[in-house]
Amino acid sequence: MTPLCLMEDVRKTFRMGDDAVEVLKGIDLAVAPGEFAAIMGTSGSGKSTLMNLIGCLDVPTSGRYLLAGREVLGLQDDDLSELRNAHIGFVFQSFYLLPYATVLENVLLPTLYRESAKDHAEDHAIELLRLVGLEARMRFRPNRLSGGEQQRAAICRALMNDPELLLADEPTGQLDSRTAAEIMNLLAKMNERGKTVIVVTHDPAIAAYAKRIIRIRDGVIVDEQAD
Amino acid sequence: MNRLINIFSQSLRAVLALKLRSFFCILSIAIGISAITIIVAATEGAYQKAFDIVAAFGPDSVLIVGGAEESRGIARREKTLTLTDAEAIRSAFGTAYMVVPMSNVRDVIISYRGNRYQAPVIGSSSDYSLAWTWPVVEGSDFTEVDLKRSANVALIGNETMRELFGEENPVGKFIQVRQIPVQVVGVLLERGASVGGGNVDNRVVMPITTVMKKLQNEAKYVAVLRVRFEDQENLDRRVEELKTFLRAQHRIPDGESNDFQIFSSKDIIRFLVALTGSLVVFVGIVGIISLIVAGFVLANLFHLSVRERTGEIGIRRSVGAKRRDILFQFLGEALLLTTAGGLCGFLLGVAASGLLQYVEAFPIHFSWRAFAIGLFLSWLVGIVFGLQPASRAANLEPIEAIRS
Ligand SMILES: Nc1ncnc2c1ncn2[C@@H]1O[C@H](COP(=O)(O)OP(=O)(O)OP(=O)(O)O)[C@@H](O)[C@H]1O
Ligand SMILES: [Mg+2]
Repeated sequence: MTPLCLMEDVRKTFRMGDDAVEVLKGIDLAVAPGEFAAIMGTSGSGKSTLMNLIGCLDVPTSGRYLLAGREVLGLQDDDLSELRNAHIGFVFQSFYLLPYATVLENVLLPTLYRESAKDHAEDHAIELLRLVGLEARMRFRPNRLSGGEQQRAAICRALMNDPELLLADEPTGQLDSRTAAEIMNLLAKMNERGKTVIVVTHDPAIAAYAKRIIRIRDGVIVDEQAD
Repeated sequence: MNRLINIFSQSLRAVLALKLRSFFCILSIAIGISAITIIVAATEGAYQKAFDIVAAFGPDSVLIVGGAEESRGIARREKTLTLTDAEAIRSAFGTAYMVVPMSNVRDVIISYRGNRYQAPVIGSSSDYSLAWTWPVVEGSDFTEVDLKRSANVALIGNETMRELFGEENPVGKFIQVRQIPVQVVGVLLERGASVGGGNVDNRVVMPITTVMKKLQNEAKYVAVLRVRFEDQENLDRRVEELKTFLRAQHRIPDGESNDFQIFSSKDIIRFLVALTGSLVVFVGIVGIISLIVAGFVLANLFHLSVRERTGEIGIRRSVGAKRRDILFQFLGEALLLTTAGGLCGFLLGVAASGLLQYVEAFPIHFSWRAFAIGLFLSWLVGIVFGLQPASRAANLEPIEAIRS
């Protein structure tokens, strides 16, 4: 099967004034559709940087990166936005819900930037909220929700445009272990429904939900294991 | 298009949510725009008033006033003009179709059946009504014959009529003007306040011959001459000719200044524009300064807001917002606020100038133009001062915004 993400010798260098720091030092990675992978590594090893490259929030300094068969290097900023909008759903450690919008409006956010308008967006959003058990809370502001509920709303938002790829950077970092398990079960359920899921974590208990573990140290992949 | 509507709805959402920021932006814009609204309305009011006055004064007419230019104040002018001057002008200027000499006596006691009233008495040749384009609403103007006979007849102003007669019809009745019985032949149309805000509806107009002989004990001099010309387009030249003519008539040697002054409708406009001009300059400076201040208030509040909302910008970018979507959202917020500020400012300006008009009898005129200029300036402030913070928001790198 052709991979959804294909990286070949991907490098990323950050410039800070005169200093240049090479954070990713030659990543080769293929993720097939339907995979559930965890990226593990110590703090500062480059997990988030890799995740941002996979999600087209940033572009590699060199190498090759194909997302859904499309070369990402050399794309314009607008093209990257369109790629993210159509193919990728992000879940972050700190939820990033708009405080002044309702839960439902937050879930609908990706539809605002869609290239072609689709009908019944609101029905779809409500359906997603029902799926995660937040239907009764959809008119609330995020600050009235618990951490777990906020992360569930954020997952609905990530699913809103029906992307192939779900990227979660330490999605349970701010949650207790029971709530974390709920969130991981939800991501596993999405994976069963066909979404490709990549989770960044340094918690083995969280990584255990994934079917494949990618270990990264000092900007290179050191070990791969599949269940 | 759909996308733009979506984005502006997000602007509206943010504007409604961030109430404190919205309040200060709207307030500061409103102050500036209200000042601008007053200026525009005052300028338009002045022009409107000037046109009204010129129309009433007669665009084809000039007013010759006795006395040198230095002795300002109409009451203290020395008398230098005579009925002979009036006759001379009439025969020397072919296009002068009307030359009306006038005198005036202030504070004359007028009475009718025990009602007493103090009013100025104006002496005029016949055709006072025509000369001033001032219609007689009851009765008629006095005639050439009345003038020749120094008849005891009068036209009375609307206010004088109300004070003396109440509901009674005054035409044909006799009033006492300083103990002299005078028959009322006509009533002048109500004029309302004049240029300086003075009252003109209280005057009593009588044949100038009667006024000179019986009220002033004056054989020769009159206060002013009003001349109307058929060739209005040559008015400036006629004024120059009149000056030369009167200097000769009064035998003024070269090098000495005129013993009279000539005003035309242009002078009236000049006076009004000068009067309004000082207010316009003052309020204009205040308005522009406060708009610039408002702009900086807006820019600063928006910079703060962009910094506070990097997370929001990051998440919007990560779900697919393009740079220009972010730019338009923040610009939209600025424009919504300045538009609201502009509307509030306009209302504030209307209220303030209503007060100004009430206190100062200042001509104020509102039109769509005052509104449009205010709105245009609010948008200008919104775009000029909102652009920098908005483009800073748009140019935030997604990973920077999400890392915060
Ligand atoms: N925009 C940037 N500019 C400069 N340096 C950066 C930038 N982003 C990341 N880095 C550096 O790159 C290295 C890897 O960062 P990254 O965020 O990918 O680590 P991580 O594995 O996600 O760590 P953590 O587990 O703490 O989240 C760090 O040393 C970090 O300081
Ligand atoms: Mg990280």
